[in-house]
Amino acid sequence: MGIYPLQAGAYEYEGETLMLSLGGYLQSGARYAFYSDTPDEYPSIELGIDLNADIGSKTSFKMFIQVQDDGKVIAPDNGLLFNEFNKIFQDKNPSIDIDEAYLDLFTENMDFRIGIQKFAWGRLDEINPTDNLNTEDFTQGGTNEENDRKIGAPAVKTTMYTDLANIEFAWIPQYVPYRLSTSEERWFPGVLKPPGVIATDTAAGDIPVMSFYQDIEMPGRYMSYSQYGVRVSKYIGGFDVSLSFYRGYNTIPITSGPTDLTIELRDLLSLDYSISAKTTLVPEIHKMNVYGFDFTTTAGSFTIRGEYAYYKNKYFNRKLDSVLKEELTQEKQDNIMDDFMKAYIDSEGNESVQTFRIEPAIALQKDSMKYGIGIDYIYGDTSISVQAIQEFVPDYDDERPIYFIKDGFDTVLTVSFKQFFLQNILEANLDGAYNLEFKEYLIKPSVRYKFTETLHFTLGAIFLDGKEHDSLIGQFQKNDEMFATLKCYF
Amino acid sequence: MKVRYLWVLFICTGFVLGNLMAAVPGFGAEMTAYEIVKKSEDLLDQAKDSQMDILMTLINKNGNRREQNLAAYIKKGEDDSSKSMLFFLSPADVKGTSFLVWSEPGKDDQQWLYLPALKRIRQISASGKGESFMGTEFTFFDMGSHDIDDYTFTLLGEEDVNNEQCYTIEAIPKKVEFYNKIVLWIRKGNFIPARADFYDTKGAYLKQGIFSDVQNIQGINTPTHIEMHNQLNKRSTTLDMTNIVYDKGLQDDIFTQRYMKRGK
Repeated sequence: MGIYPLQAGAYEYEGETLMLSLGGYLQSGARYAFYSDTPDEYPSIELGIDLNADIGSKTSFKMFIQVQDDGKVIAPDNGLLFNEFNKIFQDKNPSIDIDEAYLDLFTENMDFRIGIQKFAWGRLDEINPTDNLNTEDFTQGGTNEENDRKIGAPAVKTTMYTDLANIEFAWIPQYVPYRLSTSEERWFPGVLKPPGVIATDTAAGDIPVMSFYQDIEMPGRYMSYSQYGVRVSKYIGGFDVSLSFYRGYNTIPITSGPTDLTIELRDLLSLDYSISAKTTLVPEIHKMNVYGFDFTTTAGSFTIRGEYAYYKNKYFNRKLDSVLKEELTQEKQDNIMDDFMKAYIDSEGNESVQTFRIEPAIALQKDSMKYGIGIDYIYGDTSISVQAIQEFVPDYDDERPIYFIKDGFDTVLTVSFKQFFLQNILEANLDGAYNLEFKEYLIKPSVRYKFTETLHFTLGAIFLDGKEHDSLIGQFQKNDEMFATLKCYF
Repeated sequence: MKVRYLWVLFICTGFVLGNLMAAVPGFGAEMTAYEIVKKSEDLLDQAKDSQMDILMTLINKNGNRREQNLAAYIKKGEDDSSKSMLFFLSPADVKGTSFLVWSEPGKDDQQWLYLPALKRIRQISASGKGESFMGTEFTFFDMGSHDIDDYTFTLLGEEDVNNEQCYTIEAIPKKVEFYNKIVLWIRKGNFIPARADFYDTKGAYLKQGIFSDVQNIQGINTPTHIEMHNQLNKRSTTLDMTNIVYDKGLQDDIFTQRYMKRGK
């Protein structure tokens, strides 16, 4: 029994029935934006604390906490330090995040895990159509690693190991919302910013639009609002295969946009009036069913991975400008003006400024399917992985366009290349994605150098471009940047 | 018959043979090169299962050292099959990584890698065997299973290695894949290898393995310190095995994807 440092600097306690290890890292980072007219991102510092405990051979506990001073947050809220499980806009700085904290119980044929945890379903890299149990933190635009993006959810997981198959059941009693930057910050999604002006060919002319953002209204703490998933896995003849089912909320931001139209009558005789709009984007969540299948196998020198998911009752965001244009047709304006004039006359001309609420239907329900295949090749110190992933919306309606889908399709090709040098001391990475429909790309080269096993330096860059400002990558097209991090493990 | 002569890797990953051939000559008899190798293999390969901790040290040409700690579990199956599991314990950036291999005669190995950063188990191809294992001077081929019948052995003579008398044996693969030739020095006293020189497919001297610190563990003479010196890039890797336990009766459960995630 004793306490002693491991080589990496972690501390361990080893008793007869209890083993504890405490490790972690301290990381500082800086980013340099290539475009000066984009929001700044200041240097950041992050402390990760990883505690693991084995209690006998049947029980273990894990907790991973991140303490951050996040350079992305521009106007920090001075609330509690801990990021909350009921807010989308986490604008605390500094902040503490309980990334994972769970208790494992092991029996002969079953494992139980209870606590804040992350799931990893599916076989593709970074984009997993069947993996919907955890929501994601989009405050870095989705450019960071998948596991870093995932938000741990308080959940119960049971895995049964049988000769027939392994069966995993997950239950998330309370929905945990995704996270977004605030609208002033660098990685706030451009598609959630309504246009500043809507041009109409009506008497009102151009309509200025002000937008506001509301945080989520959480679903109640009832059984019917909980989420669950089942995954059955089996190794058959060289194939790892899984079937899965998920019933729970959509994982991407879906909004409604109640809008107050304010009409000001400037001159009654010439019927000179103006309209201004104030839109509040309100997060919506909808339940969907996801039926999934995935596999992996090897063929010669290659590993082949595939994944398919059918989304029943999935929701998408309609394009905001098209929604507002639809709501501001001449006919609808005439109806509003009729109401306006009636109230104006009733008030004997006193109410020359009136506000009317419209509730445009931004969220649109469409079933869809998403599937992909990936091939990996590893040769010594070199590895390369390519993937093709497509989402298909069978009853896509051109008259009601939705974000990130064009003509019913969204196809992404990804590549991930890794090369080690100097006995793995130096690592070069190149990650890239190209969208066939939107002609947009993301390229992320980086190098990592290990000064020692406990001190690593990473230098990289993110290049993004897209022909359209409201596509997945195009919305961030001016967010090209360089980044550098220094990470010290202990 | 499939045996694992490069027991470096028997020790590291434990792909070991099941049923050995019948009796081989004992001490004192005139032995052929094949018989010496076979005897060596038999003595190294007595345990049905084994587990150990490994300190793996990577040394570059300037002498700078990097260390990794691993735990290895190995179990023989029926019909010459075997299973092995490696857990990476440190440094921190690889801690929690695990590597599972199932070997069956006549088939490619089935290999899985679990990376905790991804939380996913990835099936990986068993090819690329000539390439470096985790940045070390060992290759996946070195770590893999080999049939001594795939080699032709010639007894070259006797030499001293570190003041120990050894048989010097040349092993020529019947089908050249990764090595053109391996020269082995096997201790006359206990039939444990002391040194191995590896020549690449063009016949150039590639690397040298040194096997020392032989300890008798549960009746099995086991070299607990292994060095591999690459003659071309001047880099080395050493393996130091501790806490070696043979025939503990390891359960099959350990060699599953369940345990890859669960860890040591």
